[in-house]
Amino acid sequence: MQNFINLERIEPKKRSSNERKKDFKEIYEVYKMDEASPQAERCIQCGDPYCHNKCPLHNFIPFWLKSTAGKDLELSFKISNETNPFPEITGRVCPQDRLCEGACTLNDGYGAITIGAIETFISEEGFKQGLKPSFKPLVTDKRVAVIGSGPAGFSAATYLLRAGIGVDMFEKASKPGGLLTFGIPNFKLDKEVVFRRFRWLEEAGLRLHLNTEVGKDISFKDLLEKYEAVFIGIGAEKSKRANIENEDAQGTFLAIEFLRNIQNKIFNLPHDSKYNVEGKRVVVIGGGDTAMDCIRTSIREGAQSVKCLYRRDEENMPGSKKEYKNALEEGAEFIFNASPKKIVVDEQRRVKAIQMQKTKLGEKDESGRRRMQIIEGSDFTVDADVVIFALGFDPLVPKFLEENGIKTNEWGGIIVDENYETSKKRVFSGGDCYRGSDLVVTAAFDGREAAKHIIEKYFK
Amino acid sequence: MDLLKSFKDNCGFGLLANIKNIPSHQNLQDAITALERMMHRGAIAADKKSGDGSGLLLSMPKEFIKKIAKEEAGIDLPKQIAVGMIFMRNLNQQEVIDRICEKNDLKVLFYREVPIDTTALGQQALETLPRIMQVFITTNSLVATKRFEALLYLTRREIENALKDDEDFYIASFSNKVISYKGLVMPTHIKHFYKDLNDPDFKISFALFHQRFSTNTLPQWRLAQPFRTIAHNGEINSIAANRYNTFMKSEDLESEVFSKEEMERILPITQKGISDSASLDNMFEFLIVNGMDFFKAARALIPAPWQNAPHMDSKLRAFYEYMSVCFEAWDGPAAVSLTDGRYIGCILDRNGLRPAKYVVTKDDRIIITSEYGVLDIDEDLIVERGKLKSGEMIGVDLKFGKVMKPKEIDDYLKDANPYDKWLMQNVTYLQEFLEVPFSKTDAYELDSLKKRQRFHNITEEVIEMVIEPMIKDGKENTGSMGDDTPLAAFSEQQRNFSHFFKQKFAQVTNPPIDPIREKVVMSLNTGFGEIKNILKETPQRATRLKSISPILMEEKFEILKSFGDPSKPRYKECYKNKTFSTVFEKDLKGSLEKLVKEIVRSVKEEGVRIIILDDRGDGENIKAIPMAMVVGRLNKVLLEEKIRHLTTTVAVTGEAYDTHSCALLVAYGANAIYPYLLFATVNEYLKKQKVSPYQMRNMFKNVYSALNKGFLKIMSKMGISTIASYRNSSLFDVIGLSKEIVDDCFCDSVMLLPGLGYEDIENRLNRYYNEAKEVERVEMLFPLKIGGFYKFIHKNEFHDFGPLVTNAIHRASITGDKKDYQTVQKLINQRGLKMIRDFFEFKSDREPISIERVEPKEEIFKRFATAAMSLGSISPEAHEALALAMNKIGGQSNSGEGGEAPERLKSEKNSKIKQIASGRFGVTPEYLRSAEEIQIKIAQGAKPGEGGQLPGHKVTPLIASLRYTIPGVTLISPPPHHDIYSIEDLAQLIFDLKQVNPDAKIAVKLVSSAGVGTIAAGVAKAYADKIIISGGDGGTGAAPLSSIKFAGNPWELGLSEAHNALKVNNLRGMVHLQTDGGLKTGMDIIKAALLGAESYAFGTAALTIIGCKILRICHLNRCSVGIATQDERLREHFVGTVDRLINYFTLVAEEVRELLASLGYERLEDIIGRSDLLKVVDHPKAKKFDFSSILMQTPGVNTCQVDSNKPFDENKFEKDILKKVYSAIENPSSPIVVTEQIKNINRSFGALISGEIAKYYGNNGLPPNTITFKLKGIAGQSLGAFLINGISIYLRGAGNDYVGKGMNGGKIVITPQTQGELFSCAGNTCLYGATGGKLYVAGSVGERFCIRNSGAEAIVEGTGDHACEYMTGGVVIILGETGINFGAGMTGGVAFIYDQKHNFIDKLNQDLVYATRIDTDERDEERHFIKKKLREYINETGSKKAQCILDNFRHTIRDFWMVIPKDMTKVPLNPEEGD
Repeated sequence: MQNFINLERIEPKKRSSNERKKDFKEIYEVYKMDEASPQAERCIQCGDPYCHNKCPLHNFIPFWLKSTAGKDLELSFKISNETNPFPEITGRVCPQDRLCEGACTLNDGYGAITIGAIETFISEEGFKQGLKPSFKPLVTDKRVAVIGSGPAGFSAATYLLRAGIGVDMFEKASKPGGLLTFGIPNFKLDKEVVFRRFRWLEEAGLRLHLNTEVGKDISFKDLLEKYEAVFIGIGAEKSKRANIENEDAQGTFLAIEFLRNIQNKIFNLPHDSKYNVEGKRVVVIGGGDTAMDCIRTSIREGAQSVKCLYRRDEENMPGSKKEYKNALEEGAEFIFNASPKKIVVDEQRRVKAIQMQKTKLGEKDESGRRRMQIIEGSDFTVDADVVIFALGFDPLVPKFLEENGIKTNEWGGIIVDENYETSKKRVFSGGDCYRGSDLVVTAAFDGREAAKHIIEKYFK
Repeated sequence: MDLLKSFKDNCGFGLLANIKNIPSHQNLQDAITALERMMHRGAIAADKKSGDGSGLLLSMPKEFIKKIAKEEAGIDLPKQIAVGMIFMRNLNQQEVIDRICEKNDLKVLFYREVPIDTTALGQQALETLPRIMQVFITTNSLVATKRFEALLYLTRREIENALKDDEDFYIASFSNKVISYKGLVMPTHIKHFYKDLNDPDFKISFALFHQRFSTNTLPQWRLAQPFRTIAHNGEINSIAANRYNTFMKSEDLESEVFSKEEMERILPITQKGISDSASLDNMFEFLIVNGMDFFKAARALIPAPWQNAPHMDSKLRAFYEYMSVCFEAWDGPAAVSLTDGRYIGCILDRNGLRPAKYVVTKDDRIIITSEYGVLDIDEDLIVERGKLKSGEMIGVDLKFGKVMKPKEIDDYLKDANPYDKWLMQNVTYLQEFLEVPFSKTDAYELDSLKKRQRFHNITEEVIEMVIEPMIKDGKENTGSMGDDTPLAAFSEQQRNFSHFFKQKFAQVTNPPIDPIREKVVMSLNTGFGEIKNILKETPQRATRLKSISPILMEEKFEILKSFGDPSKPRYKECYKNKTFSTVFEKDLKGSLEKLVKEIVRSVKEEGVRIIILDDRGDGENIKAIPMAMVVGRLNKVLLEEKIRHLTTTVAVTGEAYDTHSCALLVAYGANAIYPYLLFATVNEYLKKQKVSPYQMRNMFKNVYSALNKGFLKIMSKMGISTIASYRNSSLFDVIGLSKEIVDDCFCDSVMLLPGLGYEDIENRLNRYYNEAKEVERVEMLFPLKIGGFYKFIHKNEFHDFGPLVTNAIHRASITGDKKDYQTVQKLINQRGLKMIRDFFEFKSDREPISIERVEPKEEIFKRFATAAMSLGSISPEAHEALALAMNKIGGQSNSGEGGEAPERLKSEKNSKIKQIASGRFGVTPEYLRSAEEIQIKIAQGAKPGEGGQLPGHKVTPLIASLRYTIPGVTLISPPPHHDIYSIEDLAQLIFDLKQVNPDAKIAVKLVSSAGVGTIAAGVAKAYADKIIISGGDGGTGAAPLSSIKFAGNPWELGLSEAHNALKVNNLRGMVHLQTDGGLKTGMDIIKAALLGAESYAFGTAALTIIGCKILRICHLNRCSVGIATQDERLREHFVGTVDRLINYFTLVAEEVRELLASLGYERLEDIIGRSDLLKVVDHPKAKKFDFSSILMQTPGVNTCQVDSNKPFDENKFEKDILKKVYSAIENPSSPIVVTEQIKNINRSFGALISGEIAKYYGNNGLPPNTITFKLKGIAGQSLGAFLINGISIYLRGAGNDYVGKGMNGGKIVITPQTQGELFSCAGNTCLYGATGGKLYVAGSVGERFCIRNSGAEAIVEGTGDHACEYMTGGVVIILGETGINFGAGMTGGVAFIYDQKHNFIDKLNQDLVYATRIDTDERDEERHFIKKKLREYINETGSKKAQCILDNFRHTIRDFWMVIPKDMTKVPLNPEEGD
């Protein structure tokens, strides 16, 4: 270990931007052992593992780096899969540069360990060699209902099944995975990666009820009666808008809807052709990972041009630097320090352009982030055929919550105690529907912890 | 035990005898003179009268007692007469004496009040002065002399037992052969005090004499030495084990001298509440009185190292092996003189850690003392001037008037009985039955492995950090930085039972030893079987099953069991075994008692002899009583039942998987350990690696060998050489267990912070067991726990320097913003109850004041220092930043040991504190002279009792130049300072340093441990100005993990103990106290102040401020922030700045000011030692523990009251000479020659003048021979210490220990008046840490010659053991015999040995060096170098031997060996140039 002094950070091979723009296949290759192992060997094995501390799942990163360096794939696989319900997914979709890799000691001047890529490698290579997550045979007839198959529910189900507790999962969509399947484009996460996990869960005793919406196809009360506990992981699906004039004009999309439709198209499922951006000038508003997803999806969908408008500067973009870079490579254009003022429409209320104002950054606020100030009279317009709002999400609050006395907060988030239990006994929740739009990895953490508490409280 | 009033003692000692046994008054006079001349080896109080005691054990002055009997009582003494010398109080005691004498058929003739002159006494001695009486006793009826002697002993023991509760009653001697005159008097006053001693008729033929140096100031009359048979200089490190074993051996005694009934009246052999030396005296006397041969008894108790001594005569080894069945070594530094009235002798410990020098004269006298020259004997009268080597004994048979040299004694012992035959017949070695160890690894396949690993806390981290390194490297893992986790007792996480125990280590009063370089003196030989009557030598007594290590593997365990299994052909009743499961369901205490009861019953009724304790359980229930608890409890109960000698205990346990946990079990009584879970874990690990069976065996052997090395390491920290002396030693501090548990199971250990009881432990075990069972409930991909004890893991063990704290300190130091500092404060000051100080909150007796009234931060900065970190352990950038910042704010930075560039010394980058440690790297006159404070590092918090290593790859050209060595050469620091084996040695070093730099404060750094208060008091008496109590959590650049974790206590415990012990001893006002260990905030400072610290050092925190990220890889030279590395590429990443340090320390000082204001005090000075301003927090967790000993208040001053702690010896001798030579210092162009007589009391000659020269000229000194001394006589210790260029010392006579210590330049030439092999010319440890200069001695020198020499050129005619140890540079030519272990740890320099007897190779330690002949063409350069040097040497010394070698050079050159380090390709023959 500590080989950082002899070897630089080398990221996994990436397909060239020209090539990858043409399809929706993943752009990164998975490391080979002889690439992953030397990269892992760069790890310092700090006394204070900052990566592990920063990771929302508190994955035992230094441990599996060490075993990967020692080419002990099995050990790496086990340690990595113990704390993480789907390491090969977080390895692909986590914004590592803000989390583990950002905190990595070597990130100061040496280049952080390629933690995400190695994490993906460990499980992918492990699967290749026949390693599989293992589950305990069901130990009880009592089961748990999980509402939503997104990262939180997915994670909760995984840990419940490991303890030999049967899970029934209710998903209103026709495919499982929630945001993983419909919110993250294929070029970042191949859907087979998600479905593979679900197949294993089903082998272990998961009953997956697709196309089943709770409150519509089955009542929440039924669940409460039939199941020992219920976990709600319905995510936050309500896209935020910019609150500007004409924001509902024809040619304005909400990010999640846009992405879902394209995904449906790829699945050959029914989809709405209004989201077709081929040959159009696309402007994406927002600077997060979802914005990048929309940009890169638009490029792949054959947009004439794709511009990204962001209120703050490059430095302050909330999304992963890696994705920003990929978007740039693929031909996106970025306009920083610009805040949308109004959508300019034609007679048919079709998007024509977007009017922007310049901004500057002021003093720090309490959270340490610099305040954004509008520069008056700095208006300018950007021509556009399509405007996509990627400004974050709020939870969509289903009726059954209130009906069953499950309390939510002012912005619709489900309120839970320190054990992830809601105001209603036996009902647990986690993920974006509790914390607001956040990361896959935080949802996975919530699901894992909630499962532990469900087991602790109702199955011991 | 009262830690504050306990003591340790060392001293000066000796004996003097007329070989022909002719009594004379002159002998007495000489003994007293000799004693006076060693006064500097004792302690002296301010009144110059009170000492710690001195005394004489004299042959019975028959003429004198006859005279006074007649004169004073009108009695004509009969032939059989004994005199008792008694310290008493009252007549009742006299009645007891009368009664018991009469009962034993003895007649008390009369009592005599010994005439004394109390004007000779100091105040304290006067206050405690007893009535000193002599009782004259004869026999009532006719008995043989032998029986008379036996009756005297019996009577005395009976009187002592009858009056054992009378503290002031003491029988100093009670004999027909010897009489003791001793007391709390200075040697110079003993004659005035005891008027008898002035009577010309008081004629004696021999005397043992002794001056005591106690670590405390509460000396008692009874503690003065000599005792009844011995005078001991040194310390018995294994004393607890020896005392325990003495009880064990007393269980079944059969004496030919005493009847069973009489024996009952005599026992116990050792009395309670006496010193280690007194216990040894008890034991020796007991053996002698019971008819054991004088020499056998002596060598049984203090054997030479025989186990790993292939050079030793096999029959002699047989004698020692036979004796070892019944007698373990009383181990520790020891020079002991002994007598039984007929023989007198002197014996040196196995490692030669004390000096014992002798002179035999033509007029039939022999004098053995710590130093040469204590009597002015005409050189012409001297027949031999010699010294004892390690493990040697010399004796005199007074009956036949014969000196018995070591060889003669050995010959006598080895032929006393057919020991070799007895051993052949009766000893069975387990190894003989073992084909190939670790071939049956299937045995390590365990059911429920994961559950067991979880229960016993074998985490992935443990596997990676502890077990894997053992597998791969065959040794314990190295780590770095300090331990920042809470005590086990405070922890909320799963912790091992062994974590409640902290290893003891030697500091100051005894030295640790080096288990690698000096392993020749160590052994792990372990025996099984009962201990038979120690008083009778029979062949059967040798009956033993033996193993070379207490660690058993499956095969050995099976073989051991087969000897105790009646169904097996090998079965022998004396090895009958039975296995007892230690698993329990509930009720920990009850289960323990039940188990122990059952064992006792089995031993008594079933004849079980080997007790096998097994915690494996049935796979289902594996919840076991902590094995240490079982072993400890059993050890106590078996002794109470008097059946301990019958049994040996084997622990089959999952708890033992690191060196610490294994050592723990042995220290509390286990003979052997079968660590099945460790082996099962190793097996699993190796199976996964798919290694070949051959590799598998080797890797298992690696683990085995790592544990063995670990044992040696832990024993060596305490200065114990053999496991037999370590077993039953209880050498741990127990922290946080209840009094009940400690009393039941660990009663010989010191209990600190009494707390958790059986119930608490049981609750914890239940929790661990439930968590272990988790694997059965949940499918875990990775079923082990991950760990978090060694490194930070989220939601696992708390780490004080966790990621958040580290980040926060970085931020606050960069911004200097109070808000950012508040984050640090919050994280530290509100971390919960983690460290001891967290349990205290303020309770001031004053109202808060405004902060303006509080002293400015500049006053507070003066009390800040950075902890010692050498250039080498950290980069030049980091080292200089610390120095610059501390100088800027007015604090102190600490150079660490390793030198400092000359251009820094006079700049603002000069470190005010210069450290001097055991390696003496870069310690030169200029370096010492540039210091404001010189810190002697006795121990380091992270690894007390251990040395260190700077690996070659870290020795850059800069570091090499500062350390006077060659780049790339590995530099080893020995565990002890080789000039400090005892407290009087420390006093000598302090004296040396105060000469070379009279302006500097001398500080001594100790590590917190129970008993550090005693040590601190001793250090204060040795004239230190400042004492640092370091916490066990202090950092290091590299140390074994178990040392970082398990040795050294939190500073709160040590600081409070030291502060109060100094107060109790009225010494607090003489010294300044500092503390360090994990200090980070103003709150820490205030709490340290309240507990008694006047200043505060920051180590890890200081590094964190300059960018350290607590990577814990300092030992790898890969520090990514450019601090703990010398790699230039990494150093570019150093981000530390002086401003960051100033920013942070300003924030800390401001917090101190705020807190002072809130307490209502204006100055920090006013709250130091005010532990009454603290109270224990109101919290359920706090209620569990007893903090009273930390918060105690004793009366007296709380801070240092003096400028300097001035030594008793003002060194007027050299001060006067300095005046004479000053003109030459002022004007070096006019050289000066001074002729003087010198005596042994003129110590450190040359240091004062060298320091004065260094002050003006640096290490360049003066031109050669500017100042020449022509001295005659015997020089005191440290002749030419830190000598500088320009001074030449010619001594006609002899030197004592430490000649040329730390010498940097100049020349020392010693020539005796009479030349020859019988004339030794200098003592031990000469040229220790020398960096240059020349030493020519026309005679032989003592042990450890040229140790850690890095530049001096030396020519001598013979040396003792361990010559050239750790040498890194310089040229040594030895024209005669050397002792054993030559060149151990030698990594540089070159030595030439003239090996006329062709026996040198056996004495060479070939680990790092090899010897080669030089009479070859290839070595032509060396050949002629020798010739050239011989001529130079002859010119200076006129050596006859050298002349003879030169005259016959063509022949003699063939017998020269050249010794060079293996990894040095080219030999630098010119040390000035290096290579």
